[in-house]
Amino acid sequence: MVIAPLRRKVLRDLRRLWPQALAIALVLAAGVATLILGNGAHAALSDTRARYYADYRFADVFADLTRAPLSLLAEVSALDGVLAAEARIVKLGRPELPDLTAPASMMMVSLPARQGAGLNRLHLRQGRLPDPLSTREVVISADFATAHGLQPGDGMSVVMNGKRRMVSITGIALSPEFIYALGPGEMMPDPRRFGIAWVPRDMLAGAFDLEGAFSNLVVQLAPGADESRVIAAIDRLITPYGGGGAVGRVDQVSHAFLDAELRQLGAMVKVLPPIFLLVAAMLVHMTLSRLIALEREQIGLLKAIGYSPRAIAGHYLELVLLIAGCGILIGFGAGAWLGAGLAQIYARFFSFPFLVFTRDPAVYGLAALVTLAAAVAGALQAVRAVLALPPAVAMSPPAPADYRRDGGHLAARIPLRQSQRMLIRHLWHWPLRTGSSILGVAMAVAILVASLWSPGSIEHMIDVTFTRADRQDVRITFATALAPAAFADSRHLPGVMTAEPFRAAPARLTKGSRTKRIVIEGRPSDARLSRVLAPDLRPMAMPEAGLILSEALAEALDVRPGERVQVEFLDGRRARVELPVSGISVGYVGLGAAMELQALNRATGDGDLVSGVNLQLDPAQSAAFLAHAQDAPGTSFLTVSDLTVARFRATLAENITVMITVYVALAAIIAVGVVYNFARIALSEQGRELASLRVLGFTRAEVTGILITELAVVVALAQPLGWLIGHGIARAMVAAFSSDLYRVPFVMGPQVYATASLVVCAAAVLSALAIGRRIGQLDLIAVLKTRE
Amino acid sequence: MANLRDPVIGPVIRAEGLTKVYRSGPVEVQALRGVDFTAAAGEFVVILGPSGSGKSTFLNILGGLDTASAGRVWFRGLDLTALDDRGLTRYRRDHVGFVFQFYNLVPSLTALENVALVTEIARNPMPPAEALALVGLSARRDHFPAQLSGGEQQRVAIARAIAKRPELLFCDEPTGALDSATGIKVLEALTEVNRATGATTLVITHNAAIREIADRSLRFADGRIAEEVVNPVRKAPTEVSW
Ligand SMILES: Nc1ncnc2c1ncn2[C@@H]1O[C@H](COP(=O)(O)OP(=O)(O)OP(=O)(O)O)[C@@H](O)[C@H]1O
Ligand SMILES: [Mg+2]
Repeated sequence: MVIAPLRRKVLRDLRRLWPQALAIALVLAAGVATLILGNGAHAALSDTRARYYADYRFADVFADLTRAPLSLLAEVSALDGVLAAEARIVKLGRPELPDLTAPASMMMVSLPARQGAGLNRLHLRQGRLPDPLSTREVVISADFATAHGLQPGDGMSVVMNGKRRMVSITGIALSPEFIYALGPGEMMPDPRRFGIAWVPRDMLAGAFDLEGAFSNLVVQLAPGADESRVIAAIDRLITPYGGGGAVGRVDQVSHAFLDAELRQLGAMVKVLPPIFLLVAAMLVHMTLSRLIALEREQIGLLKAIGYSPRAIAGHYLELVLLIAGCGILIGFGAGAWLGAGLAQIYARFFSFPFLVFTRDPAVYGLAALVTLAAAVAGALQAVRAVLALPPAVAMSPPAPADYRRDGGHLAARIPLRQSQRMLIRHLWHWPLRTGSSILGVAMAVAILVASLWSPGSIEHMIDVTFTRADRQDVRITFATALAPAAFADSRHLPGVMTAEPFRAAPARLTKGSRTKRIVIEGRPSDARLSRVLAPDLRPMAMPEAGLILSEALAEALDVRPGERVQVEFLDGRRARVELPVSGISVGYVGLGAAMELQALNRATGDGDLVSGVNLQLDPAQSAAFLAHAQDAPGTSFLTVSDLTVARFRATLAENITVMITVYVALAAIIAVGVVYNFARIALSEQGRELASLRVLGFTRAEVTGILITELAVVVALAQPLGWLIGHGIARAMVAAFSSDLYRVPFVMGPQVYATASLVVCAAAVLSALAIGRRIGQLDLIAVLKTRE
Repeated sequence: MANLRDPVIGPVIRAEGLTKVYRSGPVEVQALRGVDFTAAAGEFVVILGPSGSGKSTFLNILGGLDTASAGRVWFRGLDLTALDDRGLTRYRRDHVGFVFQFYNLVPSLTALENVALVTEIARNPMPPAEALALVGLSARRDHFPAQLSGGEQQRVAIARAIAKRPELLFCDEPTGALDSATGIKVLEALTEVNRATGATTLVITHNAAIREIADRSLRFADGRIAEEVVNPVRKAPTEVSW
């Protein structure tokens, strides 16, 4: 009962201080929301993936080979550590649909003989699985079906191994193997131009002359099995059949992209929420300290009439907890809302049969707990002052603030207007508050810098990759490596202006204990279309014998130019050679290695072979070209640079717009929260001085100017600090985002800093306007009648 | 200085039928009920009266800090009642100096800087050091308010008020927070600047003895001037029995 009047005071304080309380609550809410968003999305993605993998028996080891007899499967199954193995036929076909003019491909995957058995099982969305004995029925992937409006019962034609076949769709499905369905040669999933068809085994065997044989192996490991030993054992078995490059999940495309996304989320959770919580703690500290300073007489009175210091301190903590509670509730709402939005973005990239943004109470509970802790940590220091205050001292008014030691001499020597001197000394007098306000605003700038750099770096990535390195209009990839005659043929396709052959040789590179499975690309020494770029972005001449490694690969293998690496080719004669590293190149997509074409062919010992051609086309004839090139006998798939870039840009543009909107909002919350609170406190402290100045004849504008200038100094000092912190965060993000799949170039232009500062300054100006109104309403006479 | 005191120039400040009503909700407080007043250039006027009698309200309206509900105020030819906030600010800035019970110095500025704060925006100020010399504080020019006693702070406030050479100097209980010895020093400072600058000086006080140092004293009661006494001879502050 004793507490009741104090509790009433909490509510009254909250009503009076609501704009400041709201500003703090919003910063806390941003912390809560980003925690929920990051941890929740992480949990949602990884839990969903884990459940999907388990329920649909996603394989652990994957291997492609040329052709192996089905009898080999029994040997694989008998290997130590293998729980289940499935021999499949996986081949690329070309879908033909009336609404599909651009080159497209379709991954044809054989289904096990027994319906619904085997690994990488399908999740049927619609319809049914094909009859195992049918030679027409297929199930197609859901995204492709949606992109083309296909339904069970519809028919379509697919070119397989050069022959056009009509298939009829019996069902629409998803598979854990293709959560992230990236077409061959593409940088982003494009469901219009890439789909998967699951086909009865016999039909594929017939189409690709693989009766009694298989071309792809998937294996599930027994619990506790040693993956690398199983992979080695499998490689030994399949090597004679054109295999030998078995990989685990880490190198499976779909799985690896999901991993990259999870890593990015992990990085976000490490960066964003701590910033908000730190700023919120500083705001709580600032505001509460001022409130306690203002109420020291009341505190003294309360102590004098017998309230325990704990009860009084508890009162202030209650106020903070109430604000934190509001922030947490807002954060819950915002986090759930943003989470639902993120789940939608994920649904565009990843096909899951179910993806529910987490409602895990642990995620929410943790966010609430961490946030409360931050708020209380900010409050404790301030509340300690309450405990220390002896009642008698508390009841006597504070002496005028003592500015003696505050660098007064320095400020006195510089010729300044007195009003400027006032604001400098005032800032200096509260170093902790000034410092934390500067840091707070700097954090807002930093968040923006750390998010706004990405469009520039993506443009840079596109520029380097497509206008400097891979300048071809189209790349034709052959189904298998062919004699140079195939290259000669392609020169005669309609519209071809320039043609350059390339050879892609899968290989395992080893240096010491490090090993990477990659594709070595051979190209003519004087290549003009597909070029290899030095770190200064100038094209590199191909060395006579050595390898050029991408920076990422060189780092992964820890090799420097001049050193030698072991190369084990994974197809053809499977030669093992040792090659010198002649240079390091830049490249942002995947791990890459390049050689001069003839040198590569000598090294493999497979003779003169080409894997495809890079072409420059006469734009006027591109339609005719595509029609001929797709049907050319050796063609496996075409990669049209314009389409790849357009898709890459469109996909990223959409997400980056969303992301930047969110980040701008978050930064604005911080900037407004810090500037508004700082200004309110400054006004509360200097209101009396400012009113005195009005009495002395200073105009409203002059007095407002003093406070605004003080804010401006804080905001201005925060800019360079924010740029620096943002730069650091961006660098850390680049490191966190880089994987074997892609690396992000670090491109930070002055316009990034400028935009970040502009947004934060705009937010600061808004807060300043709100304060300016209050200065106009200063009560001149009241100030004169009362002591502080 | 003699010509400034010349009655031919007429009154510096003049009020007619000044009325002030404070309304807060249903409650109405009549703070002033028709006050007529004039003061000549250089005059030193002391205002007495019980608490709540309207002294501060009167001074604030004359000083352009507050506006009257009815009646008019002229500063020389200027009708203050017709001025808006901007005009009143201009008036305070150019013509009025204030001294208050609680000094209202800026704690982050030294004594000299507090004076310079005003001279920087004045049309025809005296050098800040000269203003401090007038109140006898030259030695303390570089001290911050926290380093000064109450009386010293009040004298800095006086120096700040008169440094712009105002025609009017309004003081609301300038000695209210001070002991007698210190109060006398403050009063000396006031009479000295009144003499030296010729500013018409109005001082509110609760100490009836102080009226003896004035040319004239008014006694307020219930929102009116109840009594007006002209002193033929002004006493020096040191002669006043506190
Ligand atoms: N802002 C206000 N709102 C309502 N009433 C007010 C206000 N200011 C003054 N008053 C009332 O007007 C009357 C005159 O007040 P004023 O401050 O002028 O008195 P005073 O003579 O200066 O008193 P004191 O000697 O105590 O300073 C008082 O009754 C006071 O309560
Ligand atoms: Mg009064």
